[in-house]
Amino acid sequence: MAITRRKFLKNTALAGAAGGAAFMGPWKHNRVHAAGSAKPIKIGLTHDASGQFANSGQAEKRGTIMAIQEANEKGGVLGRQVEYVWMDTETNPQTGTRVAERMITRENVHFLAGAIQSGTANAISQVAQKYGCVYFNTNSSSPTESGKNCHRVKFVWDGNGENFARAAARNAINAFGKNWMLIYNDYVWGQNTNAATKKVAVGYGAGVVDEVAVPVGTRDWSSILLKIQQAKPDVVAAAVGGDDFKVMRQQVKDMGLDSKPAWINNQQDWPDVYGLGADAAFGVFGTTWYHYLDAPGVGDFVKAYQTRYPTTRINVPGNVTYNGYVAMRELLRVVEEVGSTDNLKVIKALEGRKMSAADRMQHHDAYIDPNSHHVQQTIYLAEGNKAPRDKSDYFKILSSSDPESIRASADGVCGLESYADTPSYDQG
Amino acid sequence: MLYDLIPHIINGLALGLLFALLALGFMLIIGVMEVINLAHGSLFALGAYIALVVMTPDGGLPFAFMQPYYDLPVIPRYIIALIVGPIVVGVVGMGLEICLRRTYGKDPLYGLLLTFGAAMVLEEGIREIWGSSEYALPIPRGISGGFIAGDLIYSNYRIYAAIFSAAMIGVLWVFLNKTPYGAVIKAGAHDSEMVRALGYNLKRLRLYVFAFGAALAAIAGIIMAPIWGIRPVVGVDAVVPAFVVIVLGGVGSFWGSVSAGILVGLVVGLTAAFLTDWSLLSMYLLLLAVVTFRARGLAGKASVLEA
Repeated sequence: MAITRRKFLKNTALAGAAGGAAFMGPWKHNRVHAAGSAKPIKIGLTHDASGQFANSGQAEKRGTIMAIQEANEKGGVLGRQVEYVWMDTETNPQTGTRVAERMITRENVHFLAGAIQSGTANAISQVAQKYGCVYFNTNSSSPTESGKNCHRVKFVWDGNGENFARAAARNAINAFGKNWMLIYNDYVWGQNTNAATKKVAVGYGAGVVDEVAVPVGTRDWSSILLKIQQAKPDVVAAAVGGDDFKVMRQQVKDMGLDSKPAWINNQQDWPDVYGLGADAAFGVFGTTWYHYLDAPGVGDFVKAYQTRYPTTRINVPGNVTYNGYVAMRELLRVVEEVGSTDNLKVIKALEGRKMSAADRMQHHDAYIDPNSHHVQQTIYLAEGNKAPRDKSDYFKILSSSDPESIRASADGVCGLESYADTPSYDQG
Repeated sequence: MLYDLIPHIINGLALGLLFALLALGFMLIIGVMEVINLAHGSLFALGAYIALVVMTPDGGLPFAFMQPYYDLPVIPRYIIALIVGPIVVGVVGMGLEICLRRTYGKDPLYGLLLTFGAAMVLEEGIREIWGSSEYALPIPRGISGGFIAGDLIYSNYRIYAAIFSAAMIGVLWVFLNKTPYGAVIKAGAHDSEMVRALGYNLKRLRLYVFAFGAALAAIAGIIMAPIWGIRPVVGVDAVVPAFVVIVLGGVGSFWGSVSAGILVGLVVGLTAAFLTDWSLLSMYLLLLAVVTFRARGLAGKASVLEA
């Protein structure tokens, strides 16, 4: 379509006006608008659609949107409809920063939610804290997210690497041996999860024969797999995520190394295994939820998901969608309860909040730690299912750990900003 | 120490042959047409997806009438995939070449931008058709699993892929050097105007060369799929090492690309074994080192296709 000079000038003027409006926009962090308005509550969704975690980003997006739609079908929140605006954070911290700034300053969102990669989550939360916007980190699981990078506005909904390591380490030492080799993705989640795993494993009596940092984007693992074979460990504990994990898994299986040595894969996200069969779920790994858990509400949730997303290739929800869903559902409940979208009221209601096992479709009650804002929840240990009941039944759940038994020490280093240092934020 | 090193050297050689296979189509197109085809990676990915369609109903053709075909053993489906994939991608390559025609003789930046745009279109098209999820390409049982060599287990498929790559390199060399078609392609790379003056249809030559280069990308995609997996961004994983290999080897040089591929494989493989966190960087450091002292690459000769 040709662009006429007049149209070009008009578009330029509009773009300039929009940019100018943003430039001249409210500088103060206290963004109080007319209260009690019937305008919709707007949620900014920061889910990846490209990059290393594109697939998982879209899975958690389905969960958050499902919770929003359910709330609207029940009449909304505070008598108002809930809207969302979504932008692709591209599995990239710089993009995360830009998206969060835009969501807050131009889209005027009330809350932010979404993250898979911890670096991106950290970037988003820094912007959110600057403005005081409550941010739900739905799925990124570096121990630093609720540890040294915690913020007053940020709430972390996934189990972290240390939780999963604690759930797995003692059993693995007893079952497989004390010689451990650690491999990890060389970025914030991998480094911190590896450090937590090492601390836990050594604490239980393991010896670390080698630690291997693997660059993000590694597509050939053959040399590393040869190195593992030469080191002859009893256990390989891997903190490798996203596409790197998929490639590693493919090559481990191809080389026939999936049964010996024993593999501990920290957490296995459902979108990373779905479609590949139970063989893809190699080693022992953790998860926060599974669609065949024997817990109340699980079947109904699966049916509701399938009704809402009949054509999605991932036709059963997994841990990533689940985390997105329960996080958003809880946020909207809290807003309804406090009768306001005021950030400090919402934050105070979330701190220490208890959530029953039945409500969360897990086996143990959960709560939000008021000192780290990390959701303390059930962690399940699983392995590949050799006797699946259907073609979606990849995992065999081995055990469940209650939140106290696998509590992460990393949460203890969190120093939340004071309420006074957290800007008040309410988009009305 | 030496004993520990031997498996890594063998692995590096195998990896190097795969890198060379990855770069063959890229080298051919840039050598003959002087077009940096940034869509090479997307054509590579498309080849893998077409193979997926040919080999399994998961690939998007779950029609009932196809079921008897999918019930065939894996080997015939795999062979059909190796034939159909390159043909389909070759046709897509022809379409891309037709789009490129208006850029010939102009600033090379136009061709670069057009192929970059095509890469984006292909990647998003793949995402639209097959989604963002991961797929696995089934392979015949005879080339799956591992074999034991001393204390170590090594992948059967890697050995197969390395041998296949070496065979492809040999076949391409014979085609370029021992057939009249290859002679015309090489002549086109040396002096396209002279080829036209001798009565050859230059437009058709470019069309076929681009299709051939795209087909080679598809073959590489099918061979690499069981190692890297299949997802929309897999093309990005392919185009970067392919680019490094052709620049390192000398743009347009056949044996330069092959030897650069093997060199990159050895360097990446050995670095991954002993300094793992430097493994990706090692490829770029090698490129930097070679280009600093020899800007034309290892065997580059004024951008012509060498024998």
